[in-house]
Order: sequence, then C-alpha cells, then structure tokens
Amino acid sequence: MRYAQIVIGPAGSGKSTYCTEMQRHAETSRRNIHIVNLDPAAESFEYKPSIDIRDLIHVDDAMEDEEMHFGPNGALVFCMEFLLENLPWLENQLGEDDDDYFIFDCPGQIELYTHLNVMKKLLEALELWNFRLCAVFILDSHFMINASSFISASMAALSAMTTLEVTFISILSKIDLLSKKSKKQLERFLEPDVKDICANDTAVVNSKWNQKHQMLTEMIGRVLEDYSLIKFAPLNITDEDNLANILFMVDNCMQFGEDRDIKMAEFDAPDEEDEDNDDGYEEGRG
Amino acid sequence: MATAEDPEKKAEIDQPLLERHKKPVCLIVLGMAGSGKTTFVQQLTGLLHMKKKAPYVINLDPACREVPYPVNIDIRDTVNYKEVMKQYSLGPNGGIVTSLNLFATKFDQVIKLIEKKSENTEIAIFDTPGQIEVFTWSASGSIISETLGALFPTVVVYVIDTVRSVSPVTFMSNMLYACSILYKLRLPFIIVMNKIDVVSHKFALEWMKDFEMFEEAVERDKSHHANLSRSLSLTLDEFYKDITTVGFSAVTGEGFEEFLAAVDAAVVEYETEYCPEHDRLLKLQAEARTKDKDRQKKKFQHDFDNDVQAQSVSSATSEILLRNRAIGGESSSDDEEHEGRPGDDDDEEDRVGQKSFHNFLEEQKKKQQSKSNKPS
Repeated sequence: MRYAQIVIGPAGSGKSTYCTEMQRHAETSRRNIHIVNLDPAAESFEYKPSIDIRDLIHVDDAMEDEEMHFGPNGALVFCMEFLLENLPWLENQLGEDDDDYFIFDCPGQIELYTHLNVMKKLLEALELWNFRLCAVFILDSHFMINASSFISASMAALSAMTTLEVTFISILSKIDLLSKKSKKQLERFLEPDVKDICANDTAVVNSKWNQKHQMLTEMIGRVLEDYSLIKFAPLNITDEDNLANILFMVDNCMQFGEDRDIKMAEFDAPDEEDEDNDDGYEEGRG
Repeated sequence: MATAEDPEKKAEIDQPLLERHKKPVCLIVLGMAGSGKTTFVQQLTGLLHMKKKAPYVINLDPACREVPYPVNIDIRDTVNYKEVMKQYSLGPNGGIVTSLNLFATKFDQVIKLIEKKSENTEIAIFDTPGQIEVFTWSASGSIISETLGALFPTVVVYVIDTVRSVSPVTFMSNMLYACSILYKLRLPFIIVMNKIDVVSHKFALEWMKDFEMFEEAVERDKSHHANLSRSLSLTLDEFYKDITTVGFSAVTGEGFEEFLAAVDAAVVEYETEYCPEHDRLLKLQAEARTKDKDRQKKKFQHDFDNDVQAQSVSSATSEILLRNRAIGGESSSDDEEHEGRPGDDDDEEDRVGQKSFHNFLEEQKKKQQSKSNKPS
C-alpha cells in the first residue's frame, strides 16, 4: 500500500510552498516524502521533485509547436492528456516500494477537475497501482473575509470534490501573512458552525442580496454542516506544530479510506495534552 | 415647506437611477477554458453590430494570441505578458495574474473611457482570461468586478460548454462552481449554455426543472455518496431559482434574442436590488445630500484605492507577494478592497474621504470670508 497527497487549488494559493514545507517538516521526523511535480508549466520551486512531469513534456514544447498553435491553457491540457497517454512512464517513475509516501503538486486550473476528467483518470490509475489518496485543497486565507466568500470557497472545493471522489481536506494558507485583525476575523470560519456563519453575516452592503439568496445560503449551510464537508484547516508554514497537525490529519484520512467523512473529534486527545499547541483548529487561534 | 421639499427629495432619489439608465450595462463574461467565451463575445459583438447597437468591448486576457472581434480596449496594449513573465520570473499562470494586477491599477482610465462612451453605447462586454480562477480568485478580479458593479449595471455571464456537461457529474461540478462565483461576485447572474449547435441544452433545462430526474442521473453515473448527491441536487435546485439560463450557439447565433432579454431582466434586477442599497449607503455616509458631493467622494475613494494598489504592485517580485501586499497584509487597509463596493462601511476610507470634503468646506468658507471682508 502506498500513499499520495494530491495538492490542488487556484493559482498562487501556495501549493508548491506547502509541498516544500511538508517535505522539510517530514524530514525532521525522519519521514521520507517524495514530491511529484505535475505542473508542466511550473517555472521553479524550492523543492527537489523526485518525479517531474517536465521530464516527460513541458508547456513550451506544446506552445512552440508550429502545427498546434496552443495558448497557455491549450498547452497545459495537451500536456496533461499526454501524460495520460504515457501512464507507464509515470508508473515506472513511481517505482514499486511499499509504504512510499508521495505528494503530488498539481496545476491550478480548475478545468482539469471539472469538465475535463484528466485528473480523475490520473487518480484512478494511482488507485489501480495500489495507492491510498487524499486530496488537499489549498486556498489563500486572504480570501476568507465574510460568509459570502466562505460559501464561495466551500463551493469551489465541493466542485472539485464532486469529480475527484477521494477523501478531501481543505486548507487556508498564508495564515502567517495575515494581519492580527484578519486573523481574528478568520477564526469564525474555522469554527464548525456553518449555519451560524451564514445566519450572522454582518455585511451591511447588499443586505438585499443576502435576503434574495437567503434560502440558497441556508441550504448550502445545511449541506456543509450535515456532511461535515468543508472544514478549513489553517496553514502557517512557520509553525511546526501546525504542519505536524495537518500531516496527521491527512495521514488519518488515508488510513481510514475514502468513504469516511472527516471527523474532527479524533483530534481532541493530542490537543488536551499539549497546552502550547497552537494548531488553531479546535480552539481557534490565540 | 414640507410639500416643497418632497418633489426635491423625489428628484434626488430618482436621479441616480436615471443616471444609471444612461450608463451602459457591463457584461463580465466568465467561463472555463474551452467553454467558448471568446467565440461567444465574437458572435455577440457581431450580432449587436447588425442591430446597430455596437458594443464597447474590452479584452482582459493578456495571454491570448489574437482577438477575433473589434476590441476597444485591449489589456495587451497596456501590459506585455511575456515581458511580465520574464521580469518577475513567473510561469504562465503567475504572468496572467500579475498582468491583470498591473492592469487593475489603471482601471480608472477604463471607467473614464466607458463613461465617455455612455451616450451611444448600451452594452460593454468584458472578455476575461482563459483560466477562470485568475479572475475569480484574485485581488484584481475582485477590484474590477466591484468597481464596475458600483458604477454601472453589471451582469455576470457564465459560459458553459454544453457538450461536456452532458455527464451529470460534470454538470453538477460546473454548477457548484457557478454557485461559488455567484457568492464571490454577488451580481446578477446569467448562465449561457454554449455550443447548442452541437448538443441541445434541453437535458440541462430538464435537470434544472426536475431535481429528482437529475439526482437519478447522477446516481447512475457514480456510486459514491448517494445521500450527498441528493442534498447537493436539492441545493442546486434552489440555486437555479436565483439565476437565469439561456442556450446559445456562438457559431450560429441561436439564442441571441433570449440572451438580450435575459440581460434586460438582469439590469432591472440590478437596479431594483443593488442600486437602491448602494445609494442608501452613500447617503448615509456623505454629510451633504447633494449629487456633486457624492460624486466627488466616489471619485476620491476610487483614486485612493488605485493609489494603494499602485504602491503595492510596484515592488513585488512574485505574484504571491503582489497579491498579499495588494490585499493589505500588515497595513491598516485590511481587506478593504474586498469588503464590498467603494462607499462601504470603512474607517480608513471614510476618514480620508471626509478629510477631502472637509478641506473643500474649509476652502469654501475661506472664499466666503474673503468676499465678505472685501471693502464694499
């Protein structure tokens, strides 16, 4: 059995940084995490990938091709489809060692997770090769400022979740870059009471808009709540405990299999023991 | 006195609405890469030209190779995408986001140009970058949509590839994402099911009308999470009530009239639901109730926003840094640009706005005093 985190999210949300920090953090606990770069358009990153799609194909190859006239999007899609046609290459690169742990740094384009089933096919192949998977959806925490944007973010994550059909964790990145005021505001959205969030949106502007869409907001709130669907974990890459907790969360997801919803109660034990634990997940940030 | 004031007040309340009526409706065309946005804009522009209602077209995609329609403002004239990538050592994604950021700092000029054309333009069309998240999950995207929404009747047009959406799971995923955009931009929303010359969108309309039919289709398609699918189908059912859907073919032009009707309805929605709210807030904040002072404050805040934006853009070397600084990070202007339209509940901008108004008053006072002090 092998394990893989699939890191997805919009451009600039901090995927590559997450990969770098996770690998570095894992090394401190003597764990070996391999990073796979799946973004054929990536320029540079701080981690050294064990496997790099650019060894197989690069967007420049696709864009420079005289016959095809690809723009950046077309080139990306072409590269991903090329990868799918050359799965044996990937299988070969991944090797066969049991208990290997990988993190896949994926391209940001949402199209790959919605109406193009490129990513879905890739995940299916991984599962065939005896991998347990967990998707890690990363969003920039600067976007989490009110109930509307919280719902927007949740729906975007749900949209990807629907096609990928694997266990899912959502993360708010760049907490370390937030101002104090923003951090305080953020705490509301880390608390699980989604219905409360939706009901108490204090945005004065467009209260008519809120009224008009109230039914929809309530229904969304209910679905998110009932299925414990989207809980955002804060990510502060400068905080080792935080990184440890997230790794723990993802590890748990993969051991429990794909059908279980993420249950937060399981993390009570570690939190109580450690007073200085600043994971900000259960209690909110101090 | 009371009766004399009322017609005045009424004129005051009606004025902003009348003003906006003269302004062009701004269509922000969004959609996944490959959904046919640009072809849609091309077809729409052509059809409007034929109706003698030539639109004002703005291209916001810095990475496109060519623009197949007559464009009035092209981001590529202001920002060189390849240069940006080179200068900041960015990949294609970062290049597009940064280009859009840079363009957003000059957006007030775009506004001025559109306002100048108000007299003879009914519709302004904004073609957005191929990657949708570059617009929806970026500071510049928010700034552009919020600025437009505050000044013109603005409508979001979300283009969907009908052909690819025949799969129920893909359809659901697409609709969930559309919902995400609705909550992000908070503007009247029209879904355009494109490519109906290839596949009719009737199936989509049926799914939207009858959620049980849709739910059955989803369950046949995938076996996981049956309960979840049901709840999501119900939720989407509610979503469909809040939006308008039209079928369209960017190739044949089928659906054009229906689309125009949807735009008209959206403008009414904008004016009845967004404008009164916005005007009410402006009145609450402005000290005096004259139109001139509102405009001055709006313009000042607008310029102020852009100054903050320009400062933050000038120093970054990566798109991540750019975005953080633009949004505020450590500075006092936390999340201002996201909190809604200019003219919002906002200490910093209030103080600055009031300060300029205060100065204006002081100057007026001084003028009055110097007049009265003149020897007769």
